[in-house]
Amino acid sequence: MSWTTRIRILYQAFFLVLFLWLLVRLAGGDPRAFPYSAYLHGDPLSAVGVTLAAGTLPGALIWALVLIGLTLLFGRVFCGWICPLGTLQQLSSWLLSPRSRRESLQVNRYRRWYALKSYILAALLVAALAGTLQSGLLDPLSLTARGLAAGVWPVLPGGRPVPGGWLAALLLLAIVVASRWIPRVFCRGFCPLGALLGVFSRFAVFRIHRTSDACNNCKLCAFACQGADEPLGNHRVSECHVCLNCLPGCPEQAMTYRALPPLPAPPPKPDLSRRYLFGTVLGAFAVAPLLRATGGGRAAATPRLIRPPGALGETEFLDRCVKCSLCQQACPTGALQPAIAQAGVEGFWTPVLVPRRGWCEFACTRCGEVCPTQAITRLTAARKTGYDGKPPVSIGTAFIDRGRCLPWAMSTPCIVCEEMCPTDPKAIWFEIADEPLRDGAARRVQRPRVDAAKCVGCGICENKCPVGEEAAIRVASVGETRDPLNRLLAGGNPS
Amino acid sequence: MTDPYRPAITRREAVLRLSGTAVAAAAIGGGALVFHDRRSVSAVAANVPDWRLPIPNGVPRAAAARGSDPGINVRRAVAELGGMERFVRRGEVVLVKPNIAWDRLPEQAANTDPQVVAELVRLCLAAGARTVIVTDISCNDPLRCFARSGIGAAAGAAGAEVIETHRLRMVPAALPGLSAGLEVAEQVLRADRVINVPVVKHHNLCKVTLGMKNWFGVMGKGRNRLHQDINLALAELGATFRPTLTVVDATRVLAANGPVGGSLGDVRAVGAVAAGTDPVLCDAWGAAQLGLEPGSLPFVAEAERRGLGRADLALVKELGPS
Repeated sequence: MSWTTRIRILYQAFFLVLFLWLLVRLAGGDPRAFPYSAYLHGDPLSAVGVTLAAGTLPGALIWALVLIGLTLLFGRVFCGWICPLGTLQQLSSWLLSPRSRRESLQVNRYRRWYALKSYILAALLVAALAGTLQSGLLDPLSLTARGLAAGVWPVLPGGRPVPGGWLAALLLLAIVVASRWIPRVFCRGFCPLGALLGVFSRFAVFRIHRTSDACNNCKLCAFACQGADEPLGNHRVSECHVCLNCLPGCPEQAMTYRALPPLPAPPPKPDLSRRYLFGTVLGAFAVAPLLRATGGGRAAATPRLIRPPGALGETEFLDRCVKCSLCQQACPTGALQPAIAQAGVEGFWTPVLVPRRGWCEFACTRCGEVCPTQAITRLTAARKTGYDGKPPVSIGTAFIDRGRCLPWAMSTPCIVCEEMCPTDPKAIWFEIADEPLRDGAARRVQRPRVDAAKCVGCGICENKCPVGEEAAIRVASVGETRDPLNRLLAGGNPS
Repeated sequence: MTDPYRPAITRREAVLRLSGTAVAAAAIGGGALVFHDRRSVSAVAANVPDWRLPIPNGVPRAAAARGSDPGINVRRAVAELGGMERFVRRGEVVLVKPNIAWDRLPEQAANTDPQVVAELVRLCLAAGARTVIVTDISCNDPLRCFARSGIGAAAGAAGAEVIETHRLRMVPAALPGLSAGLEVAEQVLRADRVINVPVVKHHNLCKVTLGMKNWFGVMGKGRNRLHQDINLALAELGATFRPTLTVVDATRVLAANGPVGGSLGDVRAVGAVAAGTDPVLCDAWGAAQLGLEPGSLPFVAEAERRGLGRADLALVKELGPS
């Protein structure tokens, strides 16, 4: 193994382990401020997508410039040296597929369908511009984080179940397993981030160069080519992952990686058909209004669409959420779950609070701290709880189901919802009543009532309600701070 | 000679093949026997042990100390009962069960004071305990509860093994009456001695939450059903869980909006700690710190009626300020 390969593998291992380690720390509820969202902050696809959809580049996404700069200098080193999904695929194609040299040459040749990723990129960016951000579905960093958080972590010791997580797990698994037949199949054919970086790598300063005088067309350079970018022919620089496998592969030392080599004539072009690209753009422009008109979701507030505390209004929220699952991984009670249908087609996999799975811990602000795009804004504990003197941040309101509640319906004492209520004073208070018993006698019980002005919708009452399966007190999104129209009470809006 | 229609094999091959069959049969049969459970019930409810030790004559059933330092209060009260050596023997595993239910700071008085817990840990270790476990089944996120209550750090520094809720192993336990069918933390059932360390707090159903209510924190999912007949449930818990020692923390008491609290306006600084071998007497003393007449509390009366202890405050030896 040559020294370039050794160094690359070290880098790949480091970045993969770091990615996994951050996710594990996040799930462990470690309150220390590690840069949990560092990978996603540096993601140019999210940065461009959110900027197109929201018209603004939120805070830390500016770090994406570092990766773009790196690509302009060295080409797509992110794909070959950093991306955890790329490393996972490379690992599986190396482990699962002992190939003969002839087969290797065959699978590492360029295919025309690898241009598909450029169409995907175009479709995602145009859709973002037209008002629906879906880049996170195929963004490799979001996809990997999602697959691990929702599909792998739940089965590990200490993991919590994530209904619907199998969808994310299946996508990740399919990509990794498919790399047995086509190495780095996702990078080559589907990855919109790779396609975006490929646009920049066409201007890269450092590139692979073949001295054609020294070359005897032995094709050894193409045996281990990760990007299927044909170093032998007219090198497709926008496909190249800079894995540098072609350098030691060449027995004639014809391949070099250096600054500003002479460009081959004619310079390589992306393999795009104008006709298909036009169709893609047109289709993507149609998708956003279609999703909004018929996909459900943002048109009207939905009772069970309870968003994390600090989440922006639904429209702004959907313009920023890249569906990376970090908030779901960070939630200490497991309350944040991926929306499968609650948020419409557009909001698929956005975070939604499910009180029967967990509750919003009163003074916890982790989801906003890890959100890479500030779809969930950062709150301080004092701001969220209202200890700063202003009204607390509310995510909904609790409603009592008098047909199921023990004191209301069964003349049976119970005070659990009131006991758990974290606000000061408690949003749940009691009405003393003598409820009838079957034999004609009466029993004195405390019937819970909700003070909607005090309730923050945290859902601990619903979570701890002793009435099995469906609780007798349930939270709905009405009264949430983020939506001034989704209100219950007249008068000034809290906070 | 051999019959061409029934070709024979050699004796050697027959022995080899038959022994292969035998090995396979033995492996499968043996495996089945290893895994076979005749009762077809995997979980057997464990009994709750009685952690009490006999009390010699002349020792008060409970003693209370007052002063600004919670640690000194604990030491004085325990010393009055004969010292921790009377309750903990060399090599024993002691479980200290404070109230760590809420994501609140010590000043908010929703959890047991960390200094009280730490002092108990030190006393147990000094008395020769092999391990002192500090744990609780929190209502809020356990990591936040153990961190912000200050108990995780204080007990850990004092030498305890702090077990956060999610690391406990829940097992079926033989619980009677209303709590039948609930699970209990295995670490509690396996401890040699258990010290119950409640904090005095207002509660809207039983008026005050104390030692008997603190047993909620060793039980798992479904425990919230017990509120349906709380006074009976508390007396039953008191009859089921018999601690070696009860230490009531009245360093600060939560007078309203309990048991979660939040506002410092509802917290009252009392600066007292009581230790006792009579759980009913300890609860009666705790109620008195909140200004409640023990006789007015149905769960205390029910526990007394069952003979679990006495609710006569005159039996508490008040040591006064230090």
